[in-house]
Amino acid sequence: MSAERIPTFSVAELNNAIGNLLERGFAPRFVVEATVSRPQLKKGHLWLTLTDGVASISAVAWASQLRQLQYRPDDGDGVTVVGKLNFWAARASLNVQVLDIRPSLSTVLRQFEVVRQRLEEAGLIDASRRRFLPREPRTLAILTSVPSSALADMMRTAGERWPMTRLLVVPIPVQGDVAHRIRDVLGRLAEQVERFNIDALVVARGGGSREDLAVFDDEGLCRDLAEFPVPVVTGLGHEDDQTVADLVADHRAATPTAAIVALLPDRHAAQRDLLQRRQRLKELPGIWLMRERQRLMDRRAALALQSPELRLHRLRQQLEQKRSLLHALSPERWLKRGLALVSDAEGIAVTGANQTQLDTRLTVTFHDGSVDTLVQRVRPSPAPGHPPTSR
Amino acid sequence: MSKASELKAMIKGWRKDAADLSYEEALQALDLLLADLQSDAVPLAELQQRVLHGEVYLDHCESLLKTVESTVVTLDPDSLQPTDVP
Repeated sequence: MSAERIPTFSVAELNNAIGNLLERGFAPRFVVEATVSRPQLKKGHLWLTLTDGVASISAVAWASQLRQLQYRPDDGDGVTVVGKLNFWAARASLNVQVLDIRPSLSTVLRQFEVVRQRLEEAGLIDASRRRFLPREPRTLAILTSVPSSALADMMRTAGERWPMTRLLVVPIPVQGDVAHRIRDVLGRLAEQVERFNIDALVVARGGGSREDLAVFDDEGLCRDLAEFPVPVVTGLGHEDDQTVADLVADHRAATPTAAIVALLPDRHAAQRDLLQRRQRLKELPGIWLMRERQRLMDRRAALALQSPELRLHRLRQQLEQKRSLLHALSPERWLKRGLALVSDAEGIAVTGANQTQLDTRLTVTFHDGSVDTLVQRVRPSPAPGHPPTSR
Repeated sequence: MSKASELKAMIKGWRKDAADLSYEEALQALDLLLADLQSDAVPLAELQQRVLHGEVYLDHCESLLKTVESTVVTLDPDSLQPTDVP
């Protein structure tokens, strides 16, 4: 290579040339996924190192930009940075100027786990704490961003399902480092629950990435939701997203619209229900009359059973039964079978030979008449083992 | 006052009372009345009155169901005072 072909620079010229090259040949903006190392605030600017374990590069968020960012990274946080290259020609130093920075999914999920565990230990994530939702709430407080498609969907669904319920919409920011602002609203609203007749609270946010929902993993915010004086329903993000706020809520709905469906009855079903009640109301007097008529008939029948003729007839029947019984028990039956009744002169029954004496008169009665007899001889039955004797 | 006008006045009073009830309260009152009608609690003289009273509750519930639009109030997040923003 000849010396004429090699460009020659002063240091300043070299650095300017590099600067020009970078300006022309590099993307004006780019996204970089990294882990934050040693973030430091100096004179209002945030300095940090972005690393992936293999390589690193320093970065800075200028104070003016920093005020607009909704997230401040901690050491070790995974982040997604939107930035551009900064090159200082004077020292040929290069770093990334941060235009936006957001926590990466791993950071968000780590925070979710930490807060979930803390609140579980505090007994705030517990199925037995969940309160029943009101059946037909008079007033719902809705915390969401205004305007938003989530709010529009909720209002439409509420109007279709149960328009009698009044909706109190309280606008809140739903993304970024805004937990303290939501907590302020929650605190004020908790004190006014009775004044506004609030029966339930809906905290809603439309879809987005899981990282966008990170504010709903804030420990203080979730504690406030767990202690809110009326049942809380969350409708945050998509069906697959779960935040700590969902875990402390009394009901977790998959979406903002589903939160309204969970809280408000369906008026068409209620109309069908009313129709059935109207039908019942129409039928009940007829049923009442039938029942009373039947009761009257029963009483008439009971009265008829108490008539004098029937009573007399029953008494007669009873008498006949007794007569038959008496007849069955009389000695006539025995006499007809050949047995006889022996009585003395006074008509007293003689039941054994030992009651008789010689020359006494006995009457022997048969079924068809009687004969008078004279005792000529008495022969008592011998006792077992003794010879018979006579008088 | 004739019996018919007496009944009319009663119905008017029932309607006035029912107007203040929420859907749930009116439905509860109706269900109590239906339960009475199904039991022996209602004397014959009151049968027709009770049915008319039930219809007042039913009409009130149905009119509530016909509400066309929800009432939406937007509160200022700092003062909790109503704002004009829908």
